[in-house]
Amino acid sequence: MTRLRFRLNAGSYLAFLLWGLLLVALLPAGRLGLLLTLVVAFSWLGGGAGLRQVLANRRFWLFVLSTLAIAPFVLGEADVRWGILRLSRTGLEAGLWMALRAATLMLAFSASLGALSVAQMIRLFDGLGLRGLGFALGVALNLGPVLRDTVEAAYHTLRLRGGLRRPVQAARLFLVTVIANGLRYGDDVVQAASARAFDPAARPARVTPILGRADKLFIAGLAAVGVGLVLAP
Amino acid sequence: MKSYTVRDWVYVAVFGALWGALELTLGAYLHVLFPPLADTFFTGLILAGAGAVVALVGRTFVPRPGAVLGIGIVTALLKVLSLGGVKIGPVVAILAEAALMELALLSKASPTRWRYVLAGILAVSWNFFHKFIMMRLLYGQGITEVYVKMIQDGSQTLGMDVTQAVAVIGVLFLFRVAVGAVGGWLAWDLGRLVARRLARA
Repeated sequence: MTRLRFRLNAGSYLAFLLWGLLLVALLPAGRLGLLLTLVVAFSWLGGGAGLRQVLANRRFWLFVLSTLAIAPFVLGEADVRWGILRLSRTGLEAGLWMALRAATLMLAFSASLGALSVAQMIRLFDGLGLRGLGFALGVALNLGPVLRDTVEAAYHTLRLRGGLRRPVQAARLFLVTVIANGLRYGDDVVQAASARAFDPAARPARVTPILGRADKLFIAGLAAVGVGLVLAP
Repeated sequence: MKSYTVRDWVYVAVFGALWGALELTLGAYLHVLFPPLADTFFTGLILAGAGAVVALVGRTFVPRPGAVLGIGIVTALLKVLSLGGVKIGPVVAILAEAALMELALLSKASPTRWRYVLAGILAVSWNFFHKFIMMRLLYGQGITEVYVKMIQDGSQTLGMDVTQAVAVIGVLFLFRVAVGAVGGWLAWDLGRLVARRLARA
């Protein structure tokens, strides 16, 4: 199920995101269903994690269903009576296309960026000549537990010394402590990186290409399908 | 960004992680506290203000062009990699806020308090347009019609004139400008306070 992920590089996922955004903008409403099917298929082939995350998200359903619920009342002329409610068929149709469009975009975003691992993102930055940004991302990810400990220690120290009785001063002290300790930890990371002769400006000895053969084929396929969808009568 | 030292990148990471931690922890609490449709008007406003303060303090310690944008990119990627899954709205908001702050600080001259205030205003003001831009992007042209109709119907129901409804929207925007200005002002002071604590002033 996850074979697609092993074969494609980060460049393909980014290309898929751009492809999805472009087609959502270009395609007529009637063909959005087909695009949504392709996006769902891609997400499923990539492991389906992004698809599951979106479908399990309450907010996603709230946005999609609220559009469907509101549109028949506010768009178009009311031409259907349903009990005491007066609805518009045109509005319902417009709401359906709007919901479909939103679902496609959210899924495309999740299926492409959500499928990338940290290592793939860092390799992508390396490939783009932004090695420092990849390094910063790696450091930031590892900073999580340190920051949590710093925040907890600062909060409990302030609380136990009665600092919370003066909230403004406490907030200021808390922020200064957390930021200062984060930067002190940062200095340790700098020393460790310098000791290993890390140079963010240097080109790594072996750079994995952003696009391999499979990626080029995949992107060519995307382009062909995209043109077909746009130009089909 | 070619001229960045290891220290610069590590500090970008520290402030990106701080902003990311804010988004993931405070953001989760605020999402529980406020109803989903109030996201932009409460949750987004608080998160944008706090994020702007963190990013601008970061600019004090990485005084190079592109630093705030770098902090924003790291934050957005942390959000993408978070357990909550990839959400298009917050990622676009973080990147847009960082880009606007960077725009305000783009100059060879060293930044001043007023430029920080401007950066804060631009970043938090984005929060006002965010909902409209995202809705337009997600739902297409039809959403504009829905908004106009809802304002008309809403003001009619409340017995207000449409111009009054527009005035309410204007007040909401000015509120964001004020929050952004305070954020920028505080970030300038906070950066200096931290530098003094670390004996780097």
